[in-house]
Amino acid sequence: MTQAAEHFTFDGHSVPLRAGQSLAAALTDAGLRRFRQTAKGAARGVFCGMGVCQDCLVTVDGVPNRRACMTAAAPGQQVLTQNPFPDLATAKVPLAAHPARVIAPDLLVVGGGAGGLSAAIAARAAGASVVILDERKVGGGQYFKQSAVSAPLDAQQAAGAELLAQALAAGAKLIGEVEIWGAFDGLLFLAEHKGAALVARPRAAIIATGAYERPEIRPGWTLPGVMTTGAAQTLWRSYRTLPGKRVAIVGSGPLNLQVGRELALGGAEVVMIAERGPAPWLRPLASAVLAFADPGLVLSGLRMLSDLRKRGAPVRHGTRLDRIDAEGSALRVTVTDGAKTTAVTADAVLMNAGFDPQNEILRLLGARANYDPAFGHLRVVRDERCATSVPGLYAVGDCAGLGGAPAAMAEGRIAGRAAAAELGFGDGYDVFADQRQLRRHRRFQRQLWALHDVAPRLPEVPDDTLICRCEEIDAGQIRQGLGERPGHAGTLKRATRVGMGRCQGRYCGLVAARLVAAATGMPVDERSYFAPRVPIKPVAISSILAAEEALKDGL
Amino acid sequence: MDSDLLVIGGGITGMMAALHLAEAGARVRIVDAGENAGTWANAGSLHVQMQSRFMRLYPDQVPAVEASLPLYKAAAEEWVRLDALYGPFELVRKGGLMLAEGAEQLRFLEGKARREEARGLSVEMLDRAALDGIAPWLGPQILGAELCRDEGKLNPLMANARLLAELDRRGVARVQDRIIGLEQQTNGLVAVGRAAVYRADQIIIASAWGAGDIVRGLGVDIPTKAEPLHMNITEAAAVSIGHLIQHAERSITLKQLGQGQIVIGGGWPAQDRGRETPPAVLAGSFLGNVALAARLVPQIGGLRVIRTWAGMNTTADGASTIGRLPQASRVVMALPGDAGYTLGPLVAKMAAAVTLGAMPEADMVRYTPARFAA
Repeated sequence: MTQAAEHFTFDGHSVPLRAGQSLAAALTDAGLRRFRQTAKGAARGVFCGMGVCQDCLVTVDGVPNRRACMTAAAPGQQVLTQNPFPDLATAKVPLAAHPARVIAPDLLVVGGGAGGLSAAIAARAAGASVVILDERKVGGGQYFKQSAVSAPLDAQQAAGAELLAQALAAGAKLIGEVEIWGAFDGLLFLAEHKGAALVARPRAAIIATGAYERPEIRPGWTLPGVMTTGAAQTLWRSYRTLPGKRVAIVGSGPLNLQVGRELALGGAEVVMIAERGPAPWLRPLASAVLAFADPGLVLSGLRMLSDLRKRGAPVRHGTRLDRIDAEGSALRVTVTDGAKTTAVTADAVLMNAGFDPQNEILRLLGARANYDPAFGHLRVVRDERCATSVPGLYAVGDCAGLGGAPAAMAEGRIAGRAAAAELGFGDGYDVFADQRQLRRHRRFQRQLWALHDVAPRLPEVPDDTLICRCEEIDAGQIRQGLGERPGHAGTLKRATRVGMGRCQGRYCGLVAARLVAAATGMPVDERSYFAPRVPIKPVAISSILAAEEALKDGL
Repeated sequence: MDSDLLVIGGGITGMMAALHLAEAGARVRIVDAGENAGTWANAGSLHVQMQSRFMRLYPDQVPAVEASLPLYKAAAEEWVRLDALYGPFELVRKGGLMLAEGAEQLRFLEGKARREEARGLSVEMLDRAALDGIAPWLGPQILGAELCRDEGKLNPLMANARLLAELDRRGVARVQDRIIGLEQQTNGLVAVGRAAVYRADQIIIASAWGAGDIVRGLGVDIPTKAEPLHMNITEAAAVSIGHLIQHAERSITLKQLGQGQIVIGGGWPAQDRGRETPPAVLAGSFLGNVALAARLVPQIGGLRVIRTWAGMNTTADGASTIGRLPQASRVVMALPGDAGYTLGPLVAKMAAAVTLGAMPEADMVRYTPARFAA
């Protein structure tokens, strides 16, 4: 680790930063984890680590409600704990540093991860002009998670760097730090880029926005220090920041094991990994099927478990989170295997209980989707070329329903070539090899997840457990709302305010749809969720003003 | 399904009509289609002064609206009464400011203010210096404004939830179904729904833009029209905007709720996608509406819009439609003119009084459905 040379202030106290770090990472390094105060007076900090949950808000140089996880730390910044009701008289209005930018590539790729980069490479190779938009400063996506502060940490990061370099070498243009907040018919995308407006009018678009993590909704899940496993992985892999010295991990799935191992190698004490799924040796058949599907990946999985054991990180199978309580400056994590409960103390609790697709753009543009009851989320309807039901709109990777990075890459190659061909670049092509690979990856994914337990759940929590993080709506209020007006998630929203906050129901909205389905006996389908609406993410009014000025003569 | 009284439409008008009727001891059922955001999408402005947007869009309906101004004022007062009785609904009645950016707009407002004063509204023209005292956050280009003290705002979600609880307490039944039409059968009048047939002694129609279709079969032609439009809401800030803000020429309403969020609307069109799908928010409307708000109140520029939603406004001929159908005397119309949420409770109260025989129809000749004889 390099010596910190520069500083910013947080509530007046000096905080060191390393070049490239996010505010969230630098604050975490300094042991600071309470970033914002809620309307009801609770403290919140980093949760999703990827710009989705809107809980890590801070005031930066007078501008309120900036996400610490998406904002680069800079020397001399004045950062303040976010007050729930900023004063309009003193709040600084950010001024766009640049005029609005309008781009019109043949193909727009939304998301610079495994799927998006693969799509861009394929479409460029066919001759289409390609622009990739990514939320992060450094592309690569959540799977390849590139380092913002140093050279690649391992083979996975190196492979991502290689893919990123290939895309750029192919002539695809990658614009980072872009937040897309609007998508409209005729393929018009509106975005914010470093405070200025970005307008994209592509001829075709490939959506590759990936997934975000499904939390364990249990008492204490909103406490500072509790974050998604992916958030902790970003802190470590992108910024070389450990989420805490003592770390407990709960939920289910391979990411928890991988991140547990990475943090242990990085010097954290991983005090426990609670996995909902039963031990693989209790399910020999499923394990053998998996080994047959992809022996290499299974071997690396076994290596991971043995590595964790070597480092004294206990993996408890068949065990789930019961509750998290603040205990002084630490967190007491109680888990249960159904028969007995155990508690450990940690200073960071990581949770991942599966993934949900970031399908907002697809839903907004009207792409049809079906509900997948096994994973508990929507799968976008696509043909064999990954084209959606909307002309000119393709979807690849986890945003169309969970499939994993290798499948996303195969889908990206297929969609990239198909979209280019539809636009008149490149003629016939043979996608047989990619489709065979895709089938293999999908088979492996199914078998992999069969070893874990990410079934969609109803929150079996006490009445005072928060379901909606933003509006601070608890299970009791939602149960009451369900009793009074059970009709639809949207009705429940108006009755209780569930999902009305900044994250737009990313977590509670899915729970609301499930609860309504359970209460009414109606099956979940694409219309069970909140109606998709702009803005896809909260967007500053100053940025809307800039977009309006750029477009007022051309809409 | 039988009840003494059937109310078609479960929005603010239908809920309040049902509440009055249940209070009078009737067995009441509400049937609501629950479709297309027609119910419960309002943003809670209490409109009293004539809205410039409406005057521009529907100039032929202005005389009817102007004649109804006392009704709007009484409607805002009815909301104050309800707030005291069933609230609080975060109702604030600091008045509404209609802003002028140029001399011509100021003159327009001056003329409008005189007409409104003649109808009994409490209005006053404010110059910039006076505005600085009550609304220092307005953009520098604002020259003056018309203040209408009768106007205000409330939190509609809170009001709807409280009123719904009152309905439940009084045993009002609620059914989700779409009424297709009314039929005269041998044993009386029935409302035919997609799921069931509803029989009642009297039927109150409070289904806004859906009302025209329901009564057409009875030989009445009420030109109710659905006007899809959208609203925007920001994250919260400390409450500093007390007034309801409008503009002399352009479509905008801007207000801050008691919980700090700023609601921006004003009737910007949304895209109708049929009964089964909620209307979609249009790029031009979203950009135009929010950008206008940012120009009028520049300090909101640092806040983020977190959500939009779309709903249906209803227009017919500018005036409310309240009273018995001449063609079917057991059918009572309860249709507010423009600004349905403001007028809803008062229109409901009048329609309930007609239904119960407690209000002479002659008092409401201005609103009679007889004017729509086919």
